[in-house]
Amino acid sequence: MAITVNFFIPRLMPGDPASIMFARFQGKLKPETLIALKKTFGFTDAPIIIQFWDYIKHLAFGDLGISIAYFPQPVVEVIYSGIFWTMFLAGISLIISFMIGSFIGIFLAWFREGKMDSILLPSLSLIGAFPYFWLAMVLLYILGFKLNLFPLRHSFDQNIVSTWSFNYILSVIHHTILPAFTLIIVSLGGWVLAMRNNMISVLGTEYISFAKAMGYNNKVLMFKYAARNALLPSITGFGMALGFILTGALLTEIIFSYPGQGYLLLEAVRSQDYPLLQGLFLTITFTVLITNWIVDIFILILDPRTRK
Amino acid sequence: MIIVNCHSPIKLDEKGVMTISKEQVSSWVRNFNPLSPGANSRWPTEAGIYEPLFIFNSITNKTVPWLGTNYTWKLNNRVLEIEIRDNVQWSDGNPFSAFDVEFTFQLKKDFPALDSRGSWKYLNSVNVIDSSLIQFEFSKLFVPGFEAIGGQPIVPKHIWKNIDDPIKFSNPLPVGTGPFTEIIKFTNQLWELGKNPYYWKKDKPKINKLRFPAFPTNEQATLAIINDEVDWAGNFIPAIDRIYVKKDTLHHKYWFPKSGGSVFLYLNTTIKPFDNSNVRKAISMAIDRELIVKVAMYNYTEPAHQTALSGGLAFWRIPENEIIENWVDYNPEKSIQILNNEGLIKNNNGHWENPDGTPINIKINIVSGWSDWIRAGQIIAKNLNEIGFNAKIITAGFGSWFSDLQTGRFSMAIAWANKGETPFPMYEGLLASKYVVPVGEVANINWQRFSNKKMDDLIIKFEENSDKVIIYNIINQMQKIFIEYAPAIPLFAEPTWGVYNTLRFKNFPSKVNPYAQISPNNIPENLFILTEVIPR
Repeated sequence: MAITVNFFIPRLMPGDPASIMFARFQGKLKPETLIALKKTFGFTDAPIIIQFWDYIKHLAFGDLGISIAYFPQPVVEVIYSGIFWTMFLAGISLIISFMIGSFIGIFLAWFREGKMDSILLPSLSLIGAFPYFWLAMVLLYILGFKLNLFPLRHSFDQNIVSTWSFNYILSVIHHTILPAFTLIIVSLGGWVLAMRNNMISVLGTEYISFAKAMGYNNKVLMFKYAARNALLPSITGFGMALGFILTGALLTEIIFSYPGQGYLLLEAVRSQDYPLLQGLFLTITFTVLITNWIVDIFILILDPRTRK
Repeated sequence: MIIVNCHSPIKLDEKGVMTISKEQVSSWVRNFNPLSPGANSRWPTEAGIYEPLFIFNSITNKTVPWLGTNYTWKLNNRVLEIEIRDNVQWSDGNPFSAFDVEFTFQLKKDFPALDSRGSWKYLNSVNVIDSSLIQFEFSKLFVPGFEAIGGQPIVPKHIWKNIDDPIKFSNPLPVGTGPFTEIIKFTNQLWELGKNPYYWKKDKPKINKLRFPAFPTNEQATLAIINDEVDWAGNFIPAIDRIYVKKDTLHHKYWFPKSGGSVFLYLNTTIKPFDNSNVRKAISMAIDRELIVKVAMYNYTEPAHQTALSGGLAFWRIPENEIIENWVDYNPEKSIQILNNEGLIKNNNGHWENPDGTPINIKINIVSGWSDWIRAGQIIAKNLNEIGFNAKIITAGFGSWFSDLQTGRFSMAIAWANKGETPFPMYEGLLASKYVVPVGEVANINWQRFSNKKMDDLIIKFEENSDKVIIYNIINQMQKIFIEYAPAIPLFAEPTWGVYNTLRFKNFPSKVNPYAQISPNNIPENLFILTEVIPR
């Protein structure tokens, strides 16, 4: 089902990739070039059903075709070049954001009459409400360009040969800090709020009041009992967000020139690169499905009530 | 954790390494196939790693011999004979000869997808006379075919004859005749190109190495350019004096010579009243080009000339006293006068209508994100509204904008025109009947669908003649037709973008030293810069 939608949706866009590529040169190419381009990309006038069947056949062999925008690189290679960086950046940011956010949420719920609650929560929500690209650009400009504290682009220092040396790892971390930071602070508010609200409803239940009355240690109560139960709905949310990491970092990658999949997606749409678009959507679909499956298993482990 | 070494500085101590910003990618793809359609190979593959036979210098208007040393038309322009340079070697040491040229053209014939210049539309055969002499036999008279033949990058026969699929071949370890052929490093964020050990120009290039970091957006490239991290760039930089030059007036430089043509406002001549040439001229007179140049184009260019020719092509212009009318000067009163004369009437809303009573709704199609053209469009819409039209701009993503343009689904649009070594491609594209297709079908050029019989005759004459005097005269007549019929409205001269930094290099071409044009975007003229610039 997903594969079918995958195939047809890019083709609904007006125009065709060959014309677009041709037009990029703004009159410097002869009109004959357009014909040559169309021949290259094998645009047949075969009925769409035949094209679709061709696509399915190749897919079964793991052949995602050849990219148009990055011709003649195979789609698999194009995707491979970016996918791990996106997973790394978006994944790390999500995990850190989730952990810190949930932690803060637990504390805010426990001390919910306190000053922290009324100051921290609105400020985090406010930061999250800023347009992301604006926030990222401002931080890049101030911390990167003006103060020279962080690199302006890329995922590691190009002068370091890419082996797993200490320098390389340090450089990767250094280059990831700023983009990850922007991703973390805009999503922090969301996780804090979710966790805090879950906690509050859990704290209102009877078994917690009973345990308090029984004199249980507060800390034990907070973490071992209340938080563990409050965490469960959050985990589902986390799972869904994890599924979408391949799409989520588009703006980040563009602003920080981070070599990931987001920019590839943008370029593919711009050039109407059907094979690449299909390939990218496929990876996104699979990621969502797999992470959902993993999260389901995780919940089975965490929550005894779901086991039979 | 100690954060040392702040942001990755370029190794400024390594002399002779030129960092260039030309392509905008997030991740480099290793493709050095100069014949690859869509020119997907890494710049400067087509002109830098590989080279053409002749290079036309658009600033001096001279055809410079490169891998070819001389050319002659024979047998009444049926045969083009080219002398090939001696003592040229490929970067693997093998000798270069006319056999490589023959092979390259034969390859384009065997694989039409590689024939992006359409050479085989008018060629019959390519024949080697000896290792330094080659003849191109034409199937029909087509003298302008020299541009495509002279500009063809040549590939080595001894390597490419063993490639099964030259279309999908990405040529990861290129062997070329150009000044830079050795791939020193290639990662997806950065690649480096080193000198050709066997280059045929003695003691050149002086530059040691070319360096290409990946810049996915104009903003990223601009940051690097301002920061002295880039030596040469083809990026468009807004308000360049304030943003770039002010930071270091001694070294931060730019030069935007004109490409030779103009940027046009196209009116769809299949729609009333744009089928009326006087109405088109009237609309043209209502446009304040000075304002567009100042506000939309940051004063980087100038209002279009009546002939639409600019820069190096200006010497083709007909003499001023032969220009019998002027419809590019700002004159809104005259506009209104002409519209009245043509029978247009104002309706109840005060908007112009066709003489037969049908309404005129103007939408100017522009690519979204192309902010300079969008600003220009907004000024034009304002001008048209001021004289009584109902006009506004609409933007669309490039794909669907271009699709609408090609299929004739627009009332007005801002776009480029075809370019070449002479004004021929531009005028041909604006006026030739052979490119006209019905609305709804895809037109490669002449999107406004205007045709002129006199022009068609002139085109045939031009294609048959190599005599410079006759050609000059034909172009003159084409200009007169252009001025008489106004097939499209030239707005401003089309600039090319060249930004450079003299901190580490000198002898860039410039306004004070115009030995060539400066933009890396102009292939193959970029070869002049690659071979002439010198490290400090």
